[in-house]
Amino acid sequence: MSFQIDCPNCGCRPVWEYHYGGTPRQRPESSATERQWAEYLYNRPNIAGEQTEWWYHRSACKLWFLVRRDTRTNQVLETKRFDGTAVTSEKSEKAVQSAE
Amino acid sequence: MLFILHFALFTLHFALFDGSRERFPTMSPQQSDSEIPHSGTIEFEFDGHRVRAESGQSVAGALHVAGEHIVSRSFKYHRPRGLLCMSGRCPNCLCTVDGTPNVRICTQAAKPGMVVKSQNAWPSVKFDLLRIFDKLHRFMPVGFYYKRMYKPRWMWPVWEKFIRRIAGLGTINREHGAEGVYDKQNLFTDVAVIGGGIAGLNAALAAAEAGVTVTLIDEQPALGGHLRHDPDLACHGSVSRAKTEHTADTAVALGVNVSPSDAQDINDLIRRVTEHPAITVISSAGVFGCYEGNFLGIQQGKRMIRLRAAQVIVASGCWERPLVFENNDLPGVMLASGVQRLLHLDHCQFPGEAVVVTDNAQGYRVAKQLKAAGTRITAIVDVRDNPPEMADGIRVFRGHTIISANGSRHVSGAVIAPLAGHPRQSLSCRWIVQAVGFTPANSLLYQNGCKLRYDESVDQAVVVQHAPAMYSAGAVNALHNPRAAALDGQRAGAAAASEVSGTALAAGRDERQPHSSPAASAVPLSQSSLSCHYVSPSGAKKKFVCLCEDVTEKDICDAIDEGYSNIETLKRYSTVSMGPCQGKMCQSASIAICARHNGQSIAETGVTTARPPEQPLPLGVLAGRALHFSLVRRTPMHAWHEKAGAKMGDAGNWKRPQVYSSITQEYEAVRQRAGLIDVSTLGKIELRGADVVKFLEFIYPNRFANLKAGRVRYGVICDDAGILLDDGTIARLGEDRFFLTTTTGNADAIDSWFRWWLAGRPEWDVRMTNVSGSYAAMNLAGPRSREVLKKLTDADLSSDAMPYLVASECKIAGVSAIVLRIGFVGELGYEIHVPSQFGLHVWEAILEAGREFSIAPFGLEAQRVLRLEKKHLLPGIDTDALSNPLEADLPWIVKLDKEDFIGKESLARAQQRGDRNKLVGFRLSESVLPDLASLVLCDGKLGGRITSCGYSPAIGGTIGLAWVPANLARNGQTIQIQVNGRLIPAVVQDEPFYDPSGSKLKS
Repeated sequence: MSFQIDCPNCGCRPVWEYHYGGTPRQRPESSATERQWAEYLYNRPNIAGEQTEWWYHRSACKLWFLVRRDTRTNQVLETKRFDGTAVTSEKSEKAVQSAE
Repeated sequence: MLFILHFALFTLHFALFDGSRERFPTMSPQQSDSEIPHSGTIEFEFDGHRVRAESGQSVAGALHVAGEHIVSRSFKYHRPRGLLCMSGRCPNCLCTVDGTPNVRICTQAAKPGMVVKSQNAWPSVKFDLLRIFDKLHRFMPVGFYYKRMYKPRWMWPVWEKFIRRIAGLGTINREHGAEGVYDKQNLFTDVAVIGGGIAGLNAALAAAEAGVTVTLIDEQPALGGHLRHDPDLACHGSVSRAKTEHTADTAVALGVNVSPSDAQDINDLIRRVTEHPAITVISSAGVFGCYEGNFLGIQQGKRMIRLRAAQVIVASGCWERPLVFENNDLPGVMLASGVQRLLHLDHCQFPGEAVVVTDNAQGYRVAKQLKAAGTRITAIVDVRDNPPEMADGIRVFRGHTIISANGSRHVSGAVIAPLAGHPRQSLSCRWIVQAVGFTPANSLLYQNGCKLRYDESVDQAVVVQHAPAMYSAGAVNALHNPRAAALDGQRAGAAAASEVSGTALAAGRDERQPHSSPAASAVPLSQSSLSCHYVSPSGAKKKFVCLCEDVTEKDICDAIDEGYSNIETLKRYSTVSMGPCQGKMCQSASIAICARHNGQSIAETGVTTARPPEQPLPLGVLAGRALHFSLVRRTPMHAWHEKAGAKMGDAGNWKRPQVYSSITQEYEAVRQRAGLIDVSTLGKIELRGADVVKFLEFIYPNRFANLKAGRVRYGVICDDAGILLDDGTIARLGEDRFFLTTTTGNADAIDSWFRWWLAGRPEWDVRMTNVSGSYAAMNLAGPRSREVLKKLTDADLSSDAMPYLVASECKIAGVSAIVLRIGFVGELGYEIHVPSQFGLHVWEAILEAGREFSIAPFGLEAQRVLRLEKKHLLPGIDTDALSNPLEADLPWIVKLDKEDFIGKESLARAQQRGDRNKLVGFRLSESVLPDLASLVLCDGKLGGRITSCGYSPAIGGTIGLAWVPANLARNGQTIQIQVNGRLIPAVVQDEPFYDPSGSKLKS
């Protein structure tokens, strides 16, 4: 992997400055079922296509931010700071529902 | 056949070339340019005798002059091989130079005293007894080792050894190789141009003049591409088959309005490129990979350059391909461009007669150039019926091709025939020169995701869709005419530059590439006529397709008949294109043969996947040093430790003292008097804000709401699965001000962990500062430590004013310090954090103050024993990715009645389920020291493992920590630990091994 990511603070930097944080997941309420917890803890979507991901600029500004990336081409489509609005991966939502 | 080595080539092409230091110095920047004026002569050694070379001549050129025409023996049949391509592409001239195997001597400049040795021959390259394998070829058909040598199975290692001895390339000299240093360099540029031929030079100049920075990478020692060795090319046009020719007009039709006169004066062009301030030229450097994000891997001698480019222009040109005919590997059979390189770059001659086999203008040019150099041209054998070129009085056989080369150690004649194969006639000659077209160097385009399609009208693959930010120019676009290539280069350079500067041409991106089939009027070569441009019509057996691996046309046909008809499986089974040339010489012919034998078109046959490395690489280049990327961290007291003779060890990036004097002495100092350890490497985080308590309550399973200002608490961090990640202390210095420590190894991970949970909660008022490097820290421990510290501070250190687990801010030796009364080693102790610039001062002050109490510095090794006696665990050593704090003997930490915290749900379920395994302390019944991870056996079955152990002076025996099944985790229970295959009983102990009541700790 040698693509670049546009950090909202630092600009375009090679991917090895960053740390991948997975796709956004909604932490279940404590009232959630065991299956929902298991889904949250152990299952990850494996999408061939565009997805939103957390990335951490570990070698520089230490910002966690959101990246929209095409997993087939590693093309970075968008990077942005997290503004507090919930971001969830469509597929993982569906998986939670089907798990219920 | 090709033996096990093929496997190595298939999986890791370059592995064969590793092991010694300088493998292919063909690209060494230090090598002298073969074009520099020759002055004086030098001498070097070839296989034990002396060879004279003109200064600046290549080793191969000097051997040619000296009449040494056999320079190597082939891989499988040990057939004599001579010079072929002279451009560092083919495998024929691989020799061992000054101990470095597999050097291509055709691009290696001769140096005085150089020792050159031939390879893969016994006893010598001139007389190789192993040539017997050439006679045994019918016992070694394609893939024979897959069929014969694995039965009986025990014989395979014997065969393998035998095969390795007789087949292959140079031998690695393990003594050699300590010299020199492999290095890495990182560069970036707006536009990278790969290839310094006419197209690349024009592309670089056009881009630079548009105002962007350009890096031009060329693998030859001097710029100019084919024009370096083919001086008539510029005047006489193309190097390609004349049937379908792109011309300057074609390029002009693409909408580029530039002066074509640039193609005329190559030297002027080179001068303008090298003098341009915005162009950096990297010569003698091969691009071995083009990775995503336009990240280029470049080898220049012993250096790997990693070049990031905004735009990449591939103008890598083409290389000449050989024709497949009987005995086409005899010394004396050469490529036309190889002949031209010897003529014009190495100033060699070709005495005697030559036959030129051709299907294009190149053949006529080389014939005239040879004639001018004194060679008698017996004939030009032209595959075409009506060639347009003038032969200048040389006899031309039209519609003919070559059937075979005669001779055993060198060419003595040629057999030619009409394309139908009959009637044959013999011509006497010493040289057979092949000029049958070029293969585009397009593997970098494939690598980076460009889509290419074979275009029959130009007989090569052309790009139909470019990868983003990637361009191609010149011969890879089938533009072989220098003027057309020049214009194509200018077009690509201008387009790439405008893309960089954001002023994309109004015409839009779609028009930045030439249309894929510019020669609509071209006469397509029919399939039947096409194959004769690659393979001569005869049924002979020794028609070599792949010179690297000795694969013949018959081998390929046999492999297809055996079912390996797909080009990819054909490659793997027959090993065609898997040798040192990586298909450069054989790819075109193998595809043509595969297509013909399958009754398919060349387009339908496809190509094998192009992968890095494009050229064989010494592994040293990949593994070279990158000093500025291997961070070393030193504490402020580092110099003191070294001066005190401490044995230093690595802890992540940190250097830490392991031991100063001896573990026993340091242990005794701490337990009986006072000791001081440097703990500056701990992760340190400061948190401020109104919501810090809420945050800590959420992060830790511990309770923090009741932690009063001025107090410190031990805590562990879990993830949502309840797995223990790290431990540390949390000190509340003020109402909304906290000071946290993490373990050394997890400092960065916990920093990231905190920020991740905070990132999703922007509404929380928590401000976090990583102060790990800002504070030096040391732990003063031992029964006399209060007396030591009292001498350095006004603060009241009495056990009433400052009891166990108090955090205080006071002055130590005149420096503001955070002092935590905690005791990892189980004694009265103070963890003192001071600004790092005062670290050494405070360290020395404490040691000075403690001198009357015989204080001693102690290292990590003593600390490990001290903490083990207290059963204090080390996260990541005593715990793993399955350990939760309940089972790790820390259930008191987990407050399941809290509202929510990370890991609560999982820990609640774990508690309901009950413990499965537990971390326990044990005392071994014998004084042996088991290895870490020694097994705990229960009734002969695997039950657990030990994670820490050591000799405890307090106990007088071996103690440790171990994971055991929960039913064995009872005080006094005997467990069995396997040590050196023997079971040794050990007793589980609940209490710490030292000071179980904690009275010393709390004194």
